[in-house]
Amino acid sequence: MAAADARGRGGRFAAGRLLLITAALAFLTLFLALPLLAVFVQALAKGVTAYVAAVSDPMAWAAVKLTLLVAAVSVPCNLVFGVAAAWAIAKFDFRGKSALITLIDLPFAVSPVIAGLIFILIFGTRGWFGGFLRVHHIRVVFAVPGIVLATIFVTFPFIARELIPVMQSQGKDDEETALSLGATGWQTFWRVTLPNIRWGLMYGVLLCNARAMGEFGAVSVVSGHIRGLTNTMPLHVEILYNEYNYTAAFAVASLLALLALLTLAGKSFLEWRQPELRHARAQGGDRARRKYP
Amino acid sequence: MSIALRGIGKQFGEFAAVENIDLDVPTGALIALLGPSGCGKTTLLRIIAGLETPDEGQVLFDGRDATLWPIRDRNVGFVFQHYALFRHMSVFENVAFGLKVKPRRERPAAADIRRKVQSLLELVQLGWAGDRYPAQLSGGQRQRVALARALAVDPAVLLLDEPFGALDSQVRHELRRWLRRLHDELHFTSIFVTHDQQEAIEVADTIVVLNRGRIEQSGVPGEVYDLPRSAFVHRFLGQVNELPVMVRDGRAYLGPIDIGAAPAAGAANSIALIRPHEIEIGPETAGWPATVIAVRVIGPIVRLELCAEGRPANEPLEAEISRERYEAERFSTGQKVGLRFRRWQLYQGGEAAGASLAASPKSLDG
Repeated sequence: MAAADARGRGGRFAAGRLLLITAALAFLTLFLALPLLAVFVQALAKGVTAYVAAVSDPMAWAAVKLTLLVAAVSVPCNLVFGVAAAWAIAKFDFRGKSALITLIDLPFAVSPVIAGLIFILIFGTRGWFGGFLRVHHIRVVFAVPGIVLATIFVTFPFIARELIPVMQSQGKDDEETALSLGATGWQTFWRVTLPNIRWGLMYGVLLCNARAMGEFGAVSVVSGHIRGLTNTMPLHVEILYNEYNYTAAFAVASLLALLALLTLAGKSFLEWRQPELRHARAQGGDRARRKYP
Repeated sequence: MSIALRGIGKQFGEFAAVENIDLDVPTGALIALLGPSGCGKTTLLRIIAGLETPDEGQVLFDGRDATLWPIRDRNVGFVFQHYALFRHMSVFENVAFGLKVKPRRERPAAADIRRKVQSLLELVQLGWAGDRYPAQLSGGQRQRVALARALAVDPAVLLLDEPFGALDSQVRHELRRWLRRLHDELHFTSIFVTHDQQEAIEVADTIVVLNRGRIEQSGVPGEVYDLPRSAFVHRFLGQVNELPVMVRDGRAYLGPIDIGAAPAAGAANSIALIRPHEIEIGPETAGWPATVIAVRVIGPIVRLELCAEGRPANEPLEAEISRERYEAERFSTGQKVGLRFRRWQLYQGGEAAGASLAASPKSLDG
């Protein structure tokens, strides 16, 4: 009797599990896999030749290069800033700490369009530094520096936010031990702190990179949409789309998607290369991977 | 290396973590800082290590003012309660860390480092574990790795912050004895923090009892246990029974037991503290009549809960007798007995009132 009962309950649990997995998979297919697939299907709708022609267009290439350049500048900047800020917040007590935390969150709270407008206001022709910049022939707005600045602003919080909880939960014991063993501050950072946070750091860099390549709003405001000069990939996709050039639009979009997939593949490769990293993930990974709300 | 603290004080905001601490730790001593949580013992240890800077006072290392020396110049080994092993390094690399971060001029050759680390791992009985990662070791093994790592840089002082607090009691007992042996072999100065009086008594040469940021008493374990200077120390080092002192006709009484002439002033609000093994259980006719309300056999000792006549039922006295005595007399629940006290200590407002007293036969007649 009891056995049958248990079996019945086990059966119900099994059914529930199946239902949950199916629901999750269906959701993933509908909202993640299908759209991704659709991008590639649309891109190749008019055949491979049309696709190759679309992606080898010089304007498209210029957009790809600019996007990569912007990511290559803004991610390292935010990497340095993010580590420094998280280090300061997690390991030290100082006046104005909560103000700093709030400031770090600001780019998440502010709409990207406003972020773009801020830079126009500061660096635009009629902005605060407009006169100075004009005299010295420096172009910020409607040029690459403006795009980089806007991207840095928007992707500002990703790495710091990812690292703060990781560093806080790890405490100061490891660093204090290293110092007591005679290590210098630098040695402590490179040999103890950095290895401890590398998972959180990598995840933060990934998110930051994805956003840097995909940012639309803020960049759109400061870019000026000059083809071949100040168009990043998302902006280029929009222009092509507005011109009813669907194949080209989706072809460039597919490149953008490929870049994102490459970043993910790179991360998986690193994981696979270093068994000890896998170990670290099993140990503290959930913590390191806590998503930003 | 000898350590001296002179008038050390440290505030955290409004809270005074430690106040006006004077302490001398001679070279080669093994000292326990003992106290409840929040008493300032860890803060004191961190001030000695250089992990905190005191607001007042001086830290002297061999007579030299080390108050502002950074931790890396102090030559101290620090061991944390939760080991703080570098989890991305193997056990070998953890122990080698202190040697590998030395400036190139002082750094030993790779072969020497290997030899030294291996001998340290042998010393902590983990010669086989060099290639393992911290996550693959048990708590006791991890703490031994942490000790080997601290010893690798030949510290003059070893500071341990609740080193065995996170371990289960069996392993803790083993590690305590092992630490004591290690200390006796290597002769460094050690200071460890604990909230466990048993641990302090078992391991240390000197116990320093802290309460609310001040030193209550320090001395050799037996002395602190037997001659506590305050009710706090008496209560903190082991179990106690607390009885109010009654005064009638110029005589002081515990229950019906006459304990001598009443002290001059304020005897009315003084208390007597009596340890469980200081209670003598005899026939009902002798001493303070009481009823056995619970019997618990705990290995070699037997603990009895006793409700003495005239005492509230929810505040039983606790007595401990040997297993042999119990086997011979077989006290059982509900049995009527008579209590006498072999020894007690009177306190007035928390301070010891006079020397500790031993019962004379006469006082039992009361």
